[in-house]
Amino acid sequence: MELSPLQVKQLTKRYRREGGAPLEAVSDLSFEVRAGECFGLLGPNGAGKSTAIHCISGFYPPSSGKVFIGGLDVHAEPKRARQILGVCAQEDTLDSDFRVYDQLVRYATFFRVPAAEAKRRASALLERFGIADKAGELVESLSGGMKRRLQVARALISAPSVLVLDEATTGLDPGMRRSLWEIVREERDKGAAILLCTHYMEEAERLCDRVALMDRGRIRALDSPRRLVERHMGSAAVEEELRPGVLWKRAPHLEDVYLKLTGARLHEPEGPA
Amino acid sequence: MRLPESLWGVRCVWLRYFDVFRKSLAYYLVTTFAEPFFYLLAFGFGVGGLIGSLRADGQELSYRSFVFSGILGQTALFQGFYEASYGGFVRMYYQRIFQAMAITPITLSEVLWGELIWDASKATLAVVIIASIGVVTGDFPLRAPLVVAPLAFAAALLFAGLGLAVAARARTIDEISYPQYLLVFPMFLFCGVFFPVERLPPVLQWLAWALPLTSVNSLMRTLTLGLPFQPGALPVLAAWLVLLVAYSRRAMFARLVK
Repeated sequence: MELSPLQVKQLTKRYRREGGAPLEAVSDLSFEVRAGECFGLLGPNGAGKSTAIHCISGFYPPSSGKVFIGGLDVHAEPKRARQILGVCAQEDTLDSDFRVYDQLVRYATFFRVPAAEAKRRASALLERFGIADKAGELVESLSGGMKRRLQVARALISAPSVLVLDEATTGLDPGMRRSLWEIVREERDKGAAILLCTHYMEEAERLCDRVALMDRGRIRALDSPRRLVERHMGSAAVEEELRPGVLWKRAPHLEDVYLKLTGARLHEPEGPA
Repeated sequence: MRLPESLWGVRCVWLRYFDVFRKSLAYYLVTTFAEPFFYLLAFGFGVGGLIGSLRADGQELSYRSFVFSGILGQTALFQGFYEASYGGFVRMYYQRIFQAMAITPITLSEVLWGELIWDASKATLAVVIIASIGVVTGDFPLRAPLVVAPLAFAAALLFAGLGLAVAARARTIDEISYPQYLLVFPMFLFCGVFFPVERLPPVLQWLAWALPLTSVNSLMRTLTLGLPFQPGALPVLAAWLVLLVAYSRRAMFARLVK
């Protein structure tokens, strides 16, 4: 069996809190993402997904446990391990001092991509993401959806074999979201190991080979979406109110599992911003 | 830490800043040189014309030359502090590019060195150009731009450390105003830019010498005007430099990495 490009082993992350007990945001998290696999990390706000991603990218040191990217410990050898890692962060981290095209070329230099190759890739990516006509624009002049697409494009500039997409489709209209799904599928088919963090269950169900449902720092369930639905919901139809007074029966899907396991709630556990 | 690889990372970050600088050259030239140039005109030629000459460290010299040299220290202070404090805060908080760069083969440690070294480089360029103007006006010897460069770099790195520490500790961009008004402006006014520190009452003199800008100005005047070397200036400068650079990095790590 080939080594998985991304391996998370017993990852635990505690935060110190002033005048209080430490908060354990991630507890004993273990999973692997294989080459050519799209793996979904799902869970409510405050479940510990963002903390886990900060640890996986090597930005936060873990309290215990390890993360291997391409077999290299990302916390011991961040520079070498991250050579094959592409991350689209949840927040807008685009460099607004650069224009759209220059931004991609500049980011490629951080991965030692030669200038000519970087330019070729930048043009191809802008074309692929449908923002080629914005190449010379300032980032600030882009719409929210375009910024999001540019940030995913930037994560691909180094042709990474491990790709982390944190809420990559948030703020995209349905059409754009579908075209981004297509790109994710293409990257997966090319052999990338993809870690997808999302709040959209439909997205996870369509794209992910396996998903992990996280709640309060722990994985509550991990399997393919189909098997999760079978195990937790069975095959009985679910009845829901489509519009006031209009009931309909449908097959259960991943969102039902999510709501059942995490419980619908409004209170968000405390954590660092 | 493998040094050559880390130097490559710092260089990548530095080049990112240099690229922004190169692309907006007109903006940077105006914001870098307008202020010191107007100080030179107002104090060097305006006030200098009223005062004529003064005694500093037992030597007689023209007030214009005295202020000219003080502007070198002031430029290192303002350029280093503002770029790292307001600029650093914007890059860390609004643009989040520290975070974006520090999940590539570049580490956060390298990002922060790149930031500090760039801030100091840009300030050094400004000091060297102003020193060259001093050569043209006949206030400084021909070698002045060259010999002040290392001192300007060290001083600007120190003030960039102050600025980055402030950026790391400020909860909002407005909070940068506190150290700006309570520390940077007093240094600008009382640390020997416009008048010799020995004109102050003894307590204030002692305070002025405890702050880093007085040492910077004293060393600048030794290099550009040949005033006597004050042996205390170097250790004060070195101590502040090490302290502020180390503290600013620690504070920024504490802010970003949980």
